[in-house]
Amino acid sequence: MGAQSIDDFAAGLSVQRQASVYQSSKDTHERRTQVLFDRFSDPDRLRRMAGDIKQHVIEHLDTYLPQVEERLKANGAQVHWAEDGEAACNAVLGIMRARGATKLVKSKTMVSEEIGLEAFLRKNGMESLETDLGEFIIQLDHDQPSHIVRPIAHKTRREIALSFEREGLGDYNDDPGAITQRARSFMRDKYVEAGVGLTGANFVSVESGRIVVVTNEGNSRFSLAGTRCHIALVGIEKLVPRDRDLGLLLNLLARSATGQQLSVYTEFISGPRAPTQPDGPDEMHVIFVDNGRTNALASDCREILRCIRCGACLNVCPVYRQASGHAYRSVYPGPLGAVLSPLLAGDRFADLADLPKASSLCGACHEVCPVNIPIPDLLLRLRARGKAEGAPRAAIGSPPMGVWALLATQPTAWKAALFGGRLLNHVHTKLIPVPALQSWARQRTLPPWRGGEFRKWMKERPRK
Amino acid sequence: MISAREQILARVRAALASLPQRAPLPDWDRDLVQSRQATPSTDLWELFSQRFSAVNGRPLTDAADVARLLSAAGWHFGYCDPALWPLFSDVLLEPFRVETEYERSHALKYEFGITWATGAIAETGSLILTDGMTSSRLAALAPWVHVAVVERSSIHATIPEALEAHPRDPNIIWVTGPSKTADVEGIMIEGVHGPGVQVALLAPGPRA
Amino acid sequence: MLHLGAMTPSERRPAETAPGGAGHLQPIVMDGAPNAPTGSAGGRSVQLMATCLCDAFFDDAARATVEVLEHLGVEVGFPEAQTCCGQPAFNGGDWVASRRVVRHTAGVFAGGHPVIVPSGSCAAMLRHGALLEFEKEEDLPVVQALAGRTWELADYIVNGLGVASWPGRYDAVIAFHRNCHNRGTRSEEASLALLRSICGVRVVAFGEAEQCCGFGGTFSVGFPHISGAMGNLKLDHIREAKPDVLVSGDMSCLMHLGGLAETEGRPIRILHLAQVLRDALRNPPAH
Repeated sequence: MGAQSIDDFAAGLSVQRQASVYQSSKDTHERRTQVLFDRFSDPDRLRRMAGDIKQHVIEHLDTYLPQVEERLKANGAQVHWAEDGEAACNAVLGIMRARGATKLVKSKTMVSEEIGLEAFLRKNGMESLETDLGEFIIQLDHDQPSHIVRPIAHKTRREIALSFEREGLGDYNDDPGAITQRARSFMRDKYVEAGVGLTGANFVSVESGRIVVVTNEGNSRFSLAGTRCHIALVGIEKLVPRDRDLGLLLNLLARSATGQQLSVYTEFISGPRAPTQPDGPDEMHVIFVDNGRTNALASDCREILRCIRCGACLNVCPVYRQASGHAYRSVYPGPLGAVLSPLLAGDRFADLADLPKASSLCGACHEVCPVNIPIPDLLLRLRARGKAEGAPRAAIGSPPMGVWALLATQPTAWKAALFGGRLLNHVHTKLIPVPALQSWARQRTLPPWRGGEFRKWMKERPRK
Repeated sequence: MISAREQILARVRAALASLPQRAPLPDWDRDLVQSRQATPSTDLWELFSQRFSAVNGRPLTDAADVARLLSAAGWHFGYCDPALWPLFSDVLLEPFRVETEYERSHALKYEFGITWATGAIAETGSLILTDGMTSSRLAALAPWVHVAVVERSSIHATIPEALEAHPRDPNIIWVTGPSKTADVEGIMIEGVHGPGVQVALLAPGPRA
Repeated sequence: MLHLGAMTPSERRPAETAPGGAGHLQPIVMDGAPNAPTGSAGGRSVQLMATCLCDAFFDDAARATVEVLEHLGVEVGFPEAQTCCGQPAFNGGDWVASRRVVRHTAGVFAGGHPVIVPSGSCAAMLRHGALLEFEKEEDLPVVQALAGRTWELADYIVNGLGVASWPGRYDAVIAFHRNCHNRGTRSEEASLALLRSICGVRVVAFGEAEQCCGFGGTFSVGFPHISGAMGNLKLDHIREAKPDVLVSGDMSCLMHLGGLAETEGRPIRILHLAQVLRDALRNPPAH
């Protein structure tokens, strides 16, 4: 029986890397639990309400998207629409060229990873510098983030120190404080030298046409203070109906993501800088990106679009903790990615059809999701799709169920199999030609087959 | 050629067409996000100070304390919003060199920046800065030390109240302590891109 | 002592707003089944779904379930034509095969009696999973009806029958493992309440108890490394607590953990909750 690539990846992880991912995930999860329950007597009420609000939004995107566009324009922002990654990249390039800019400073936005922005800009003669410390290190190493909130969860300080040394940022020094200081010094001038600052958006309020950008480092703020042109890359699902709903979501986001009450910088941007403000962009551009989100919206798994990218599901997931983010072969790992990535892939669903199988369906992700996404249900739906479409990647390690279904609908045959199975007790498991059984028995001792014993007892016992 | 906008909206409409009903927008009460902990004090500056300290912010009530803090570490070169200079002129004497006319080319060299905060949020220990009242975004962000001066009457108790009171300003930012990261092995380090020291100075004035 | 309250109608958890119509199933809201019809004169009458695992490997757990229910004055029917709840195919994505089996099961258990299942995962399949895969099917109402009267065993004993404590004696240090399908249900609380009430039992906590054991049905076969790692991690935590026996309401988890432990050469004792309850009845409590 072939092996699933995510399982192989997990098996190939170094002990150190696995421990690093495991411990950091566990710690973050525990902090989340503590801050939520310290503060709220029933955090589940908040999660359910937030989930209902986001579900409402995605089911009304047809009216909310034109509305938010109108408000943003009234606020002085320019609005662009990108159907796919290429269009989004071209939109960014177009804005840079129109400004005569060749350098861009970038805050963390997963959408930019989705569309491969950095490579595209480089190919077109533009410089793009990551400013989030974790993403900066990823960039230095030509690596990929392994977590949507903590991109270098898989790296040790030693690895980072070696990278810094290699890139000429100083002699080897693996003290986290020193590493951070070096990044700080390196980055400072870049913000004011750059022509464009690019951010994502955590939320967009339809009511006020404000985008909300949240960081701990202040790097997005720095781009917005240092450069003269702001581009926000925003997935079309990031909308929130009213400003007051931000009050609920902001109470949930940082707690779920990092165990903080609030992230250090929560910025509400509704247009270019005020005329009296010497710093900041003269121009603000919002690029709404589809890139497969409408596929998700049309599917029976549209609830995944509620996601506010907190990463809590990754942190609690026992499979993610064993495998780490890179195992998922896509921008979004963990439970989130197992649902979203195959959906965003559209026609190429089959390439990622194994992701929904990489789960024991334990439901921990659903329990921690701040917008109450029923992830296990969505995984099951995607499994049904993978099977219906005959996706080979989904079939690996999945025993065929035809014979079982036959037996399980024919009680006489079932009972015969139960009794007959006892013969197997005399045969070494290795000799039984059922791949699933072989796989199981490699690690676990099978209990003795006792088919029919209970039924016999039930039938033969003296009745009162 | 239909525009990208039309294509996307058409796809959205098509995606939602099969839904027999659409999820309604639920209403929720502020009670939902109310803390279950009793607030230790009804004085909003006191509550703010506690929460601000909990995130390693430094709440101060005397400009002289600001001077002492800066002196102790030898941070002498900085910027001060001219409207706030009267508060500091007596205490930031030589060797302090304070510019009250904002010089963008000096922004990255200032060791401290002093600006107004439009308000604050007590329950989270957050300062609220706006384009309208903060004389320079960079002067509040780039220096190692940022001193935000806040009036007692502008402190909101909770996040919902702060949101309700959001002014019409293209840029509002809540600052909840000094900048930080835990990217390297989950170890928290302060002073990444933003300030490493975040001060909130209570503006002198009549008690509310 | 044993307390047999009247069969209490369970309260459904407050229904969440239903976004959109039939296409939108709510997240799992597991709770006790609504009031079941009273059985034959003088007692309650239920049907037992033994589960395919007990049918094949763990006959004593099924036996204990019957004995425990009969001790509580419940008449236990066992429809012979039963086979499986349909979960293996459902989890694997073969909903066509799974539906065939669920239809057969619904037919076998027709009749309106409460259906008692000594397994959280099988109960979850009938109470939730089946509803998912029958969403677009015409016979969805049949499956819904079955869901409405299916109970996990511990939930039934405590919340269906109103049993507050368990008589007898059982001297053991017990580590209790909750099946993940019992998340959000009342089964864990019910199981622990019963165990803790038994004279002689000491329930010990162990680390990361809420984390999955790694079985996950066919997950254990498709993702053997991860499944094994999850199981061994849990075994490490359990061993640290030094229990005499590992107890659960689900033989699936126990089969996985017990099997891993045995292959490793460090076997652990595993028992279904029903077996502990039954064995306790055989010993008089100490005075």
